Amino acid sequence: MDYRGFTALGVALLLYVFAMVAWVPLGPGLVEVVPSSEGEVIALGLGTHFSEAEGTLHAFVGADGQWLPVPCTAVSDHRLALQLQWPDTIHRRSFDLFLMNAVDGTISLKNAFHPEGCVLNEDHTYPSVEFPALKTADGFHFPFQPQIFETIRNLMLHVPMWFTMFFLMGVSFVQSIRHLGAKTVGIADERAVTSVETGLFFGTIGLTTGALWARFTWGDWWVASDPQLNGALVTVLVYAGYLVLRAAVDDPVLRARISAVFNLFAFVLLIILLMILPRFSESLHPGKGGNPGFNSYDLDSSLRLVFYPAVIGWILLGVGMYRMRLRMLSLHRRLNQIER
Amino acid sequence: MEPSASSPARFQLRRVGFLIRHMIRTELRRGHALVGLLLFALASVYSAFQAVGDQATAESWNALVWIVLIFTAFNAMARMHPDDRPENRNYLTHLVNPMEWMLARTVFHWVLMSLLAALVFAAFALFLGTEHLGGGRWMWLLTGLEFAGWALASCLTLLAAIASLAGAGFGLTAVLGLPLIMPIVLVATRFGKDLLSGITAMETVENLLFLGALAGAITAFGLVLFPYLWRD
Repeated sequence: MDYRGFTALGVALLLYVFAMVAWVPLGPGLVEVVPSSEGEVIALGLGTHFSEAEGTLHAFVGADGQWLPVPCTAVSDHRLALQLQWPDTIHRRSFDLFLMNAVDGTISLKNAFHPEGCVLNEDHTYPSVEFPALKTADGFHFPFQPQIFETIRNLMLHVPMWFTMFFLMGVSFVQSIRHLGAKTVGIADERAVTSVETGLFFGTIGLTTGALWARFTWGDWWVASDPQLNGALVTVLVYAGYLVLRAAVDDPVLRARISAVFNLFAFVLLIILLMILPRFSESLHPGKGGNPGFNSYDLDSSLRLVFYPAVIGWILLGVGMYRMRLRMLSLHRRLNQIER
Repeated sequence: MEPSASSPARFQLRRVGFLIRHMIRTELRRGHALVGLLLFALASVYSAFQAVGDQATAESWNALVWIVLIFTAFNAMARMHPDDRPENRNYLTHLVNPMEWMLARTVFHWVLMSLLAALVFAAFALFLGTEHLGGGRWMWLLTGLEFAGWALASCLTLLAAIASLAGAGFGLTAVLGLPLIMPIVLVATRFGKDLLSGITAMETVENLLFLGALAGAITAFGLVLFPYLWRD
């Protein structure tokens, strides 16, 4: 299969991915609660259907298996008015909010309330209430994550970029070893530099989409001294250094040899920086430093149906770009021969 | 092809010893280079002292000591040694095995960095004060500086060799080296920050071991790769 095959397959998969990213709705969830008037609180939902499910609405506050029912009325599909009456004695300081209705299933907001002016007694019990069975929302949708909300779609544009970059840098690593094993400057050196160039392209996109995501979820474009972020930036810089090194040497034989050695060094560093170091230190980044990745939240998730094709699609596109560039280089070479 | 086949000698530890002695001797013979390094380190510490005064907070103490160490290391490793001149290198390739030469250069740089790290530490203690170093903490910080110095030396020795083979000097070593030393810097600064913020050394000692492991791993990697660079 030449570059056309890889590119076509990759583009086909990515078309599916983009279609899903654009059209699959986000599952219902709660964003926050805001006080509106005396004794009334508005719960703000995203992707919810409060008005549509009027008549099946239930609301509870509580925690640790103890629940207080709350009367509620729908203001709109995304706003629910709660009439809160705190008892005189409460069993803990913070209360979770649970909402149920026929359309959205059960949605919750952890530590939504911190009632004041009540007596704290940890052994206190409330009159028992009938708690409707938990159920998930109907329909195919992306999981609702606190803080992340709609930006969960960025998963398909951020994580696969790094997988693709790892893959291409791995190709480059193997080609550099092959070059050092061979006696002459051959195709291996060309392949090594081409895959680094393509990999850097994906690394740059990965940094950009990561910064966008960080801006939305963490509030800033870049977070200081986060091991995952440092690792990603340094890896990209090291590979940029590889290209600088190549530009600094004129003799093609020497250039191929020196840059191959540097490339092996760079790949080992990539493994240390992106796969080993972040696991030993604290990080905001999902999947690192005791911070769970998305998989642990959503084992049965609709995300996988889009995420896996996205990973394969981006890698195929990367391979297609890499092979296209190689083809270009070889055509250039042939053209030069003809002109001579 | 066996990478060292083109060089005449089999690896001998004895020759490594000779080479290290040779490097130290040439270094001492052109004393101005060594004095230049010491001067650079001292001047950097003094500039830091001028910037923050003698009441440096633990954070600025930590930040400045690592910055000065890094720049001192770059200055020391990226120099052009007499052995790096093409005519001398050609001569050497007929006499020694590349791995011997690399090992000797790395060990020589370790010795040099030990000296410079100790000097940087002493100058910091003198100018920026020792108030954060009580309770035996100074020994741990000095050990950390030494370990980081060795790790930096291992990494920059290989990079300086690459840069000198490429015919480019300090600039290329800096471009290639600054990102590559980042893992060392991350671990080292974390160690220093933990230590100076007052937690006991035992709680952050794994960072020290990590630095040592990095130094060892990078050196081993450099030894394996260097023969490929020397091949002509």
